[in-house]
Amino acid sequence: MNRILTDPAGRLPLEEPRWRRLSRAEIEQFVRALQSAFEVVGVQEQGRRLTLARLEDPAALILEFAPQLHSPKKFLFPNWEKLFRFRLGGGVLLEPERAATPRVIFGMHPCDLHAVQVLDNCLFEGEADSAYRAKREVTILIGVDCVPDGHCFCTSMGTDRVAEGFDLFLHRLDGGSYLVQTGSRRGEALLCHYAPLVGARPGEPPLPLQVKQCPTRLDLPLESLAPLLEKVYEHPVWEEVGARCLGCGACTMLCPTCYCFNVEDRLDLNLAGGERVRTWDSCQFDQFTKVADGPEFRGNQGDRQRHRFFRKYKYLWDKYQRTACVGCGRCSRECLSRIEPVPLLNRLFAEQARPAPSLSPGAEYRPQLAEILYVAQLTETEKLFRLRLPQPIEFQPGEFLEISVFGLGEAPFTIASAPVAGAEVDVVVRAAGTLTQAMHRLKPGDTVGVRGPFGNGFPLEQFAGRDVLLVAGGMGLITLRSLLLGILARRERFGRVLLLYGARSVGHYLFRDELLAWHRGGELDCRFAAGQGENPWTVTRGDITHLFKDLDVVAERTSAAVSGPARMYRSLNPLLFRLGIAEDRLFLNLERHMKCGLGKCGKCRINDICVCESGPIFPYARVKHLKEAIER
Amino acid sequence: MKPRVGFFDFTCCEGCQLTILNLEEEFLELLELVEIVEFREILQAPAAALDIAFVEGSIAGPEEAARLRRIRERSRTLVALGACADNAGVNALSHFRAPEELGESAFGRVVEGIEERLPRPLECFVAVDARVPGCPIDGREFLGLLQALLVGRAPELPAYAVCVECKLGEYPCTFEQGTVCLGPVTRAGCNALCIAGGDRCRGCRGLVDNPRSQPYRQILEQHGLTVEDILAEFRIFNLPPEKS
Amino acid sequence: MNIEIKHLARMEGHANLVVDAANGELKECRLEIVESPRFFEVMLKGRHYSDVAPIAARICGVCSVSHTLASLAATENALGVRVSEQTLGLRRLLSYGENLQSHLLHLYFMAVPDYLGVPSILPLAKTRRELVARALRLKKLGNDLVQVIGGRPVHPVTPRVGGFSVLPAAAALKELRRHLVTALGDLEETVALFASFRVPELERDTEYLCLAADAGYPSVGERIISSDGVNAPVHDFAQVVREYFQPHSTAKFARASRDTLMVGPLARYRNAAAQLSPMARKVAAALSLDPSTRNPYQGNLARLTEVVHFFEEAIHLIDSLLLKGLRPESIWVPPGGGAGAGAVEAPRGTLFHAYAYDEQGRITSANCIIPTAQNLGNIEADLRALVPGLLHLPQPEITARLEMLIRAYDPCISCSTHLVKVEYL
Repeated sequence: MNRILTDPAGRLPLEEPRWRRLSRAEIEQFVRALQSAFEVVGVQEQGRRLTLARLEDPAALILEFAPQLHSPKKFLFPNWEKLFRFRLGGGVLLEPERAATPRVIFGMHPCDLHAVQVLDNCLFEGEADSAYRAKREVTILIGVDCVPDGHCFCTSMGTDRVAEGFDLFLHRLDGGSYLVQTGSRRGEALLCHYAPLVGARPGEPPLPLQVKQCPTRLDLPLESLAPLLEKVYEHPVWEEVGARCLGCGACTMLCPTCYCFNVEDRLDLNLAGGERVRTWDSCQFDQFTKVADGPEFRGNQGDRQRHRFFRKYKYLWDKYQRTACVGCGRCSRECLSRIEPVPLLNRLFAEQARPAPSLSPGAEYRPQLAEILYVAQLTETEKLFRLRLPQPIEFQPGEFLEISVFGLGEAPFTIASAPVAGAEVDVVVRAAGTLTQAMHRLKPGDTVGVRGPFGNGFPLEQFAGRDVLLVAGGMGLITLRSLLLGILARRERFGRVLLLYGARSVGHYLFRDELLAWHRGGELDCRFAAGQGENPWTVTRGDITHLFKDLDVVAERTSAAVSGPARMYRSLNPLLFRLGIAEDRLFLNLERHMKCGLGKCGKCRINDICVCESGPIFPYARVKHLKEAIER
Repeated sequence: MKPRVGFFDFTCCEGCQLTILNLEEEFLELLELVEIVEFREILQAPAAALDIAFVEGSIAGPEEAARLRRIRERSRTLVALGACADNAGVNALSHFRAPEELGESAFGRVVEGIEERLPRPLECFVAVDARVPGCPIDGREFLGLLQALLVGRAPELPAYAVCVECKLGEYPCTFEQGTVCLGPVTRAGCNALCIAGGDRCRGCRGLVDNPRSQPYRQILEQHGLTVEDILAEFRIFNLPPEKS
Repeated sequence: MNIEIKHLARMEGHANLVVDAANGELKECRLEIVESPRFFEVMLKGRHYSDVAPIAARICGVCSVSHTLASLAATENALGVRVSEQTLGLRRLLSYGENLQSHLLHLYFMAVPDYLGVPSILPLAKTRRELVARALRLKKLGNDLVQVIGGRPVHPVTPRVGGFSVLPAAAALKELRRHLVTALGDLEETVALFASFRVPELERDTEYLCLAADAGYPSVGERIISSDGVNAPVHDFAQVVREYFQPHSTAKFARASRDTLMVGPLARYRNAAAQLSPMARKVAAALSLDPSTRNPYQGNLARLTEVVHFFEEAIHLIDSLLLKGLRPESIWVPPGGGAGAGAVEAPRGTLFHAYAYDEQGRITSANCIIPTAQNLGNIEADLRALVPGLLHLPQPEITARLEMLIRAYDPCISCSTHLVKVEYL
């Protein structure tokens, strides 16, 4: 086989990408040379339309084409693919292993190059899809630039340009010649081998990045899509969209990253054998989720559309910080019912948006003033502050405020009060640094600066109807107090509630009065541990893991909320899983130094996740693969 | 012993049987699988019990109904072959004409009770075990159904609409040219053949199981069609349930 | 003696044959049409001109191309639409394809069993597999022609008023041409096969009618001619071919200059033998077919001669289309209504459609005259001429001869029931 393709490092990016000039005639020569070893597919006219298809005549290759074109997915993940042959009556079946055709896709827009990376993410995960991999490995990707149309929104998705994931990329210059940018080692080898004159040419300076304009734009940053969708799962918009949807599945057929498939047996006419094939399927179809003789799990068209949006903008984001949408606009371009993602997402965003940000520059960093209503000493080092905010807010337990004292700075504080809409909130401040020590000196009537609330808290709705296990270590109780007050406010909606709380000593317990009241009130079951100090409450001696001995929970109906230092999770999580708590029913508080709260400063990033935007409360399933989350 | 198969036709154009005879490349192999014991178009001598009866055409009048019932009685499996048998096909159009007009046209005078003799789908008279839709049928789909019956698998038709196959074929949407098309609500399986041929979908394969009539109607109305136009479009190949 | 055959086999559509003879005298002899009427003329009423041909095609699956072409010609003549040479060429090619398909289906699947003394072609799949394989190979070519140009062998989709909505790819036409040339060997064997058959004798004079051979052997055309001297524009077909009712019969018959009329391969051959392609003339000679023949059993020989003609013509036509290159055409349909007729030589004979349209382009009246309706009177007259000479034979033998005669016309009942009179009350 082609040595260029067998180089195991061939797809790695070049240390230094090279740029060389070539003419249209040289491109055609290059194509002709490639045709000796590859199937070259390119955009060409067929009938009265453009299509990406096997190229016979290099002169027919079109490199400047509109975004309407169907995606190159059909060559990497074809609609009809034989998985294997079988024989009905048993017996030996000899089937030669068929290698994938070495192929060059000559001309892909940046969005479609991004789409291939999405497919890589999805299909190489876990047990890699061998049929896809076989094709992917022997397919050379050559990018070309494009001019977005009214349906494109690549500039909002960050897919209008591409830095990697291609072998070569052709940039058209004024005057009709091109600059070819090499993006991989095999791209460079290909150019040197099949267009040696161009390969030997001296490099040119890279082109400045082009600025593209898409009239269709998201009003929100890419990073906010997943948190936005998180909040609108139950939004009536899905039902509205479902009522308009024809269920034709065109959106998914055209999507360059949709790959859901069906597997079926096609019999030979003589019924002696047949082959198992896979064909594209669609979450929009009737019977997609149908179980033989059983229910249709997602029978409602609105639910199906919601599923599509969540798969495009949330689920993959949660895993890889990449949306499964590349903004190519194909789904909206060909939807007869005009179900278009950008207006829909913008509308949801506008509805969910926090008090409209002021238009003056820098306002997002400028705090408003809040009055201190009440101060209480909780422990030797911790005080509770009740603030009156300039306007009412809504928040989920676990969200935080940025509080500042002018001259000393700003820091994040989790809201400790019940998650009810209003202008009064509690925060707990431990005197640890100059800012917090200064705050400890403040009295009722004084003011502080506040911004927020920020972040994503506990999804209280997902706890409803279930037993709740709350595990707090030290100051972790601040977050759980908000959750617990939320639960107690509608106690009847929850099953058994169990609070496990551990701290260095009883003297370090926060909210001691409330703890006693809860313990005595009978609405929840409280168990306490303390490692040292006096023991006036006769609590369990030792760290919090001791409370897990003979813990009686029914794991299947229990959701757990855990809040404490990271080292606590390392020892607690195994215990929780041993109890049988499901990974997606375990919520962790992964507070970091959320300095700006706007997803910008980078201080709170855990690997590639931004805590202040996606967290600080995460289901375990979403963060378990992040090395920085729990392991250190 | 090979399964015994018969082909029958009623009120129709016989284009579906012809489509089976047009399976030239598969025909000899087909004869290895089954024994064709009845096929009037090419074969004399009717037989007795059948494993599978393929019935083309609509049923018009009591004589045809009686003949169909006799076929049903001696067949283990009965398959409706083509649009006329499945949902009255193009014959459906006759149901929307004044009885006097129909009588004048065919008999030169008004005929009493002619409504009772208008062509209807097989299902109005006998139990139908499976169906091959389309005007005419797709030969490969027929073979697939036959295979399913022979290996004892429940025959399945695509549950999705023609739009899917149209997109897979990368044909430009007819709505872009202002041409209304029944593709969004019509059952796939034809590979969007008519759209490939530069025409529109006229719905010969019948509606999908769960047609989204409401949104579809909105789209048609946006394209300037009246309810009358929409119904006229539907009726080329589809007999509405209230008429059957 | 009384012969009654219900649902005659090996023909398109349902018909019964009733023969009643006593003491060597024929009392009754009729072909009963038992298909139900299908009301096409009424069903078409009010439809837009763009819907008319696709609906009219459904009159008959076997000759759906001919119905499409006749329907389009009638609509174009009614609305004043001119079509290009390219369109005419492609339509001819389509028509050749259908004629090939239909003729070969008839010759091998319906006629051959009669001559070989088997009930159908199916047992031959075991005993003479090569013959069946050849039949299928040849028939497929006819279908391929219609598939490539019309988009589907049965009920074509690309022909439209004024031209074609999609043109065939040049590569596909080249491929077709290659296959047509390769199949000539199969044709030779077919000719040898039919030359070996003994064709029954019957002589009866009748009027032979077809479209004029203005542009070669009759196919699509604008003039009607007959052996009795008819020469009229298609527009006046209703004055030439008049429909009538026979008191003893339930079906609508048609005649021209005299009591009986024949259309179809034999009529075309008689009127236009000189226009046949060179290969076809050679084949006619090999089959001992003579343009002066009056034997309806020789319909099959004329059919086979036509097959060779259509093969050769198709090859030439593809060559000339490829030479000129196929170009997309803009189609203009003038606004307003009108009336007009169109005709085409269908496999079984001349097919007429005539329409009137209102100002909105919606059809107000439709009329079709079908080849088999024109042949019905002739078939019955032939039967009446034949039966007295057969009465000495055993009854199964008589039945076989009668069926063979009917089949020699390749009658298409599906077609004819679009307007036949069925008396059931």
